[in-house]
Amino acid sequence: MFKININPIIISYKKLRKTLFSNLFNTIISLLIIVLISVTCVNTFEWLIFKADWKVVISNLPLYAFGSFPPNEQWRPATWIISLLSLSIFTLYGPKWRWLRKNLLILWIGTIPLGLFLLYGGVGLSPIMSRYWGGLTLTILLTVCSSFLSLPFGIILALCRQSSLPLIQRLSSIYIDAMRAIPLIAVLFFGQLLIPLFLPVGIEIDRVWRAIFAFTLFVSAYIAEDIRGGLQSIPNTQIEAANSLGLNQYQIIQFVLIPQALRIALPALTNQSIGLFQNTSLMAILGLVELLGVGRSILANPEFIGQYIEVYVWLACVYWMVCTIMAVLARHLEQRMTINQTNF
Amino acid sequence: MKINQKIFLQLGISFIFFGLIGILINNLTINLIRTGLGFNFSWLFKPASFALAEYPLPYTSSDSYAWALFIGWLNSLKVVISSLILATLLGTLIGFARTGKNSLLRLISAGYITIIRQTPLLLQLMFWYFVGFLGLKDNMFIQIKNIFNISNQGIEFSGLTFSSEFLALLLGLSIFTSAYIAEVIRGGILSVSQGQWEAFRSLGLAERKGLIRIILPQALPAIIPGLTSQYLNLAKNSTLAIAVGYSDIYAINDTIINQTGRAIECFIILLVSFLLLNLLITNTMEIINKLILKSRKYS
Amino acid sequence: MDPIVVAKNLTKSYTKGLRALDNVSLTVDQGKVLVVMGPSGSGKSTLIRTFNGLETFDKGELNILGIKVDSTHDERKIQKIRRRVGMVFQQFNLFPHLSILENITLAPVHVQKRRQIEAEKYGMYLLNQMGIDSHAKKYPSQLSGGEQQRVAIARALALKPELLLFDEPTSALDPERINEVLDAMRNLAEQGMTMVVVTHEIGFAKDVSDQVLFMDSGKVIETSPPNIFFSNARHERSRKFLNQLDTY
Repeated sequence: MFKININPIIISYKKLRKTLFSNLFNTIISLLIIVLISVTCVNTFEWLIFKADWKVVISNLPLYAFGSFPPNEQWRPATWIISLLSLSIFTLYGPKWRWLRKNLLILWIGTIPLGLFLLYGGVGLSPIMSRYWGGLTLTILLTVCSSFLSLPFGIILALCRQSSLPLIQRLSSIYIDAMRAIPLIAVLFFGQLLIPLFLPVGIEIDRVWRAIFAFTLFVSAYIAEDIRGGLQSIPNTQIEAANSLGLNQYQIIQFVLIPQALRIALPALTNQSIGLFQNTSLMAILGLVELLGVGRSILANPEFIGQYIEVYVWLACVYWMVCTIMAVLARHLEQRMTINQTNF
Repeated sequence: MKINQKIFLQLGISFIFFGLIGILINNLTINLIRTGLGFNFSWLFKPASFALAEYPLPYTSSDSYAWALFIGWLNSLKVVISSLILATLLGTLIGFARTGKNSLLRLISAGYITIIRQTPLLLQLMFWYFVGFLGLKDNMFIQIKNIFNISNQGIEFSGLTFSSEFLALLLGLSIFTSAYIAEVIRGGILSVSQGQWEAFRSLGLAERKGLIRIILPQALPAIIPGLTSQYLNLAKNSTLAIAVGYSDIYAINDTIINQTGRAIECFIILLVSFLLLNLLITNTMEIINKLILKSRKYS
Repeated sequence: MDPIVVAKNLTKSYTKGLRALDNVSLTVDQGKVLVVMGPSGSGKSTLIRTFNGLETFDKGELNILGIKVDSTHDERKIQKIRRRVGMVFQQFNLFPHLSILENITLAPVHVQKRRQIEAEKYGMYLLNQMGIDSHAKKYPSQLSGGEQQRVAIARALALKPELLLFDEPTSALDPERINEVLDAMRNLAEQGMTMVVVTHEIGFAKDVSDQVLFMDSGKVIETSPPNIFFSNARHERSRKFLNQLDTY
């Protein structure tokens, strides 16, 4: 009746012994870690529950999410973020209908105009200036628009760098190498302070679009290198096969090279967009009130002065969450591409 | 494509490209004339008239802008080199832990890597600065007979003082970069074939000795390029110093722009100083790489 | 009727003075099958790759389907040739990111500007001919080597070529998979397709070919009908080569 299968317990005990307590050195380290983990856990929980004052987070939630977007219009960015979230969940766990899966990419691209429409307003919605945009909404907007724009630029740059025309090849090499040598903050600085100097008198681009433009300049150089790596790893026989079928140069690029290079570069590309998401925080020091900028402005408020830990821990959690969601989506996409090679 | 077709295409493209640049430069000159600034570097030799919190070489506010910029460059170099060393040590340890046998260590190091890599560096820097150092009490927090002294002013260690700005940047950059270096080290170790592990184990070599004597030397060729690119990233990331108020080359350029409005000139100076920093790092790594290859006769 | 392939004194040398092709001349008539044999490095692959412009040559003249090509390698003429000549490679060279049917319809739709539905219909017909129509929706990596090579043949046939080139089509296959590909090629020959085949398969050469061309170090050593070549080769080097093949 009470026959408990004790074997797995013994095996796991043995395994544990082997990996954790195999010799004196290992045993000491393991014990130290266990002590360290427990102390940290106890302290963290104590702080999280008793010591920390979460009012600085809870009472400012709309600020973190939407910045200073007018309160009675905040449903608009909220709708956008919720639609992004539900699309992510749908992509991961939704039904596997073929026609729907095929159009998923279009849905994802469609979120960009949707977001811009909801934020800007017009046609039935009251227009709202970009200086009221902020918080997580702005962070996501910067990420999505810049990644979407840098992809085609990156592809073109990569192709130019592989071109047989020496002038084009040199120009794009110089651009890519120079962009990769300078720090992002310098490029963003260029975007905010120097772009206006290069524009004709009377023409102005608003700050958000200048930031997106600068991010695009920067990220496309990195994307170009990733795609070039993909292009180089396509065997020459693929081009021969396409040649022997009578496809011309542009058709070979369009139907044979680009799709394969994108697939090969996919992991690197998703890392770029995760990196981009984190790097949008740099705009906090260049005057946009995105997620980190909201944190800074809240900490400057006398009511919450000195509550650095709470705000930073909270922001770290938000960034970590979104990054994790992006990483999971990326892995899902990679698996779909490599295992059954279906189109998304 | 025919040869003359190629030449024609290139001519056309260069026409468009340089035309565009011409228009942009034309706009720039118009704008600079409008603001009354023009474009020249003679202001570099006027007194900077701002104070710096940190200077490895003597500096007063009556020194020239050029000297201030040079001090800034040295400050950048100082923080880059010291965090480079610290990050390499930390990253190597974590990389070993990540590939080692102890599953607890593996777990901890994996957790460390995800937390560090999935949060923005800027946030981490602010955390270390505002929470880690400024959060300390004014009075001596830890004091051991005037030799070692930590306060919100920084660390004093047998006569040497390190400001809390420098330390926060050092800590933040090192920890951030170490997570990436750990992955580079792990990749390098995994690139050595499993047979090599079995070989040294069958010879009765201890695990740590085998790792250092057998595995690591073979992993180095795979590790060095990854390290170089991480070092370059570190140098680029050091420009976030401005967020914690450390006067590196970018922060000083920023101050000068605010003071003089010479954005274009400062931007060019920034690019050149970065070029120098990059060249310094890549060349040093090249030399190290060559030394390693030389020391291994079989290659 | 004009011959499909006429090569006159084709010569191609590499930098070190080595000759990949040395004064090669040959003719292939409509509906005939020419098998090219020779030791590895003899230039046989180079030879058939010049027929659709994948390789250039330094001297000589080539006339494929009435289109004359010389050493200037005129892109436009070569493009014209490629639309009428199909090629099958040793390593299949299917496009891994496209499904089987997409592999086949790519060229008809984009090169010949045929309608998608029409191209798919014809593609399915070809796959049916090759006995692999059930795999149409799969991707190349999901198929065996023999199946992939049959897809490659169908892909080449989709352009309704007047000449088919085979570059060692069975060399990369497992031994038990070779016959399914050879059978498909046999069928094509019976239907009257003009083919140039580089292969080591003696059985196929004996049964199907009209002429066997033997090459060594870029030179044509002899061209004979298969019954003569395999029983009583004229040249010493051919006999040596055949002996070596037999020992395998």
